[in-house]
Amino acid sequence: MLLDLVQNTVDGLAVGAAYGLLALGFTLIFGVMRRLNIAFGPSIMIGIFAGAWLHAEWSVGMVPVFLAVLAGAVITAAYVERISFAAIRGDAALASMASSFAIWMQLEEAVARVFPGRTYGFPTFDGMPMIEIGPVLLRPEYLVMLVTAAALVAALQWGLAHTRFGLELRTLADRPEAARVSGVNVARVAFLTFLLAAAIGGIAGFLIAAADGQITPKIGLWATIKGLIAMVIGGLGSLRGALIGGLVLGVVEANAQWFLGAAGREMTTYALLFLALVLLPAGLAGRTEAGARAEAERRL
Amino acid sequence: MDFYFGLLQIFGVHTLLGLSAYVVLLTGQVSMAQAGFYAIGAYTAGAGTAMFGIHILPAIIVAGLVTAVIACIVGFPALRVKGLMLVVATLAFGEMVRLFFFNLTWQVDRGGELVGPNGAEGFRSIRYFPEHGWEVWHVTAFIWAVVIVVMVALWWVDRTRAGAVLRAVGHDETAAQSIGLNLTAVKVGAMTAGGFIAGLGGGIYAHTVTHIEHGVFGVLLATFAIAYPILGGLGSVFGTVIAVLFIQGFLIEGLRFLGDWRSLLFGALIVLAMNLRPTGLLGEHAPRWFRRRKTGSEPLELKEAN
Repeated sequence: MLLDLVQNTVDGLAVGAAYGLLALGFTLIFGVMRRLNIAFGPSIMIGIFAGAWLHAEWSVGMVPVFLAVLAGAVITAAYVERISFAAIRGDAALASMASSFAIWMQLEEAVARVFPGRTYGFPTFDGMPMIEIGPVLLRPEYLVMLVTAAALVAALQWGLAHTRFGLELRTLADRPEAARVSGVNVARVAFLTFLLAAAIGGIAGFLIAAADGQITPKIGLWATIKGLIAMVIGGLGSLRGALIGGLVLGVVEANAQWFLGAAGREMTTYALLFLALVLLPAGLAGRTEAGARAEAERRL
Repeated sequence: MDFYFGLLQIFGVHTLLGLSAYVVLLTGQVSMAQAGFYAIGAYTAGAGTAMFGIHILPAIIVAGLVTAVIACIVGFPALRVKGLMLVVATLAFGEMVRLFFFNLTWQVDRGGELVGPNGAEGFRSIRYFPEHGWEVWHVTAFIWAVVIVVMVALWWVDRTRAGAVLRAVGHDETAAQSIGLNLTAVKVGAMTAGGFIAGLGGGIYAHTVTHIEHGVFGVLLATFAIAYPILGGLGSVFGTVIAVLFIQGFLIEGLRFLGDWRSLLFGALIVLAMNLRPTGLLGEHAPRWFRRRKTGSEPLELKEAN
């Protein structure tokens, strides 16, 4: 019983790290644009299918597949940004949401047309041994997920704090007006942020697909929903929060799956999510609007 | 001919679904729970006629009322959050409803046949219309009679103080609060009304298709529900109807001759429409006779949630 709990928690942490990466992509887009990108998951799906196709046609190794996933996700995201975000004026957030919804349907249909059928294989990390820590087993894919997520978050934190682009991004996220008057090229920073988010999402998608070994077009909607949930659990606009939200979601899901079964897992997750949102609207690591304003005034 | 009546029926139930999201959107709240409310209405009304043998009209009214009560109960906690948090909270609620019906098995014996929701199998044999000799045009007329009653009611509400209150909250919450409006009451009221309309729509939907199952009421349907009023604009109830005709009539049925390529064009045309008219087809600058007198309509936006 207790061992099950520990084992589930370890597995959940690994899957949660991938959720955290999806949430990180969402947080970046939402922080800079204040708009919801429903087509986030579907653009990752395009990347994953590009990788699977490359593997099936040419039976290439993991590295080219990874690059294909990344390129597919980033190029699709550029398309989404140009059409649903850059082309629609900034104050019409609902129009962007409806427009990215339409793109989601478009991308899903495109994949269903090019890849008829339900599931496709995806290359896995073969030949890596199971890692034993005492009685607890850790799948090697999961170790890769954990390490990648930690490294990416650390790199992102560093980049945001120490590069010029990071400074511009933070300014745009905190005070868009201030960014504009101080000469930040808002359109360019927004576009690059969108691509960065897609790249992070692509990495998460690659890791998830490689751990599962198979993919369906449903992964698009799935990634959008998991990322969205993890982001709001952690609190909007906080990178650390996004990662924590993903880990919490992963651990809860893994344990609920084990103790309550698949239907129980979904039900528990959604019920906890609803309660968490209602009881802790600022998220686990988030801050309220009033809190943010107070902090800004203190700094002045 | 039956085909065109069938289309009109689809337009009718989707208009009700869109109007239920429209009411909530007027107060500036994006609710993804409408598909869940629609499901509650569908199962309740289906149970009413198929399991207990009551008339269709009381069945859908009961379905609307049950859904309204649930919407009110959910609205109180859910509407404490707004913007993106509300989107996700209502999404979670909608999925909980769907999973509830996925697991619900409750059948009764009716004339030697078991009827009722049967878990993943769904709820079969909601055959009120054929059993009572309704012809397809009777059904269509019935659906549109309900749609027109709902539309007239909403159009009338928009001209009363209640309509002004809803729009005031949607336009600027702080200003609305400062003139003494109770935000919670207004938002929960809108959610309750939206729940009633979604319940009616779901109840009718169950009878037109005769077989309902949980998969229909997922995130996709919830997104469609919210997309209708966004695309149609919040200028008036006609916007939602036009959006339903545009999406269901033109994009889905009208382009059927394109075969599988339809959905690609479908996306492109919605994107084009949102680019040309970011506040919806009947949002700003709508033809005068569609607009609300004096005020016109203001673009509503997804509020900053951070």
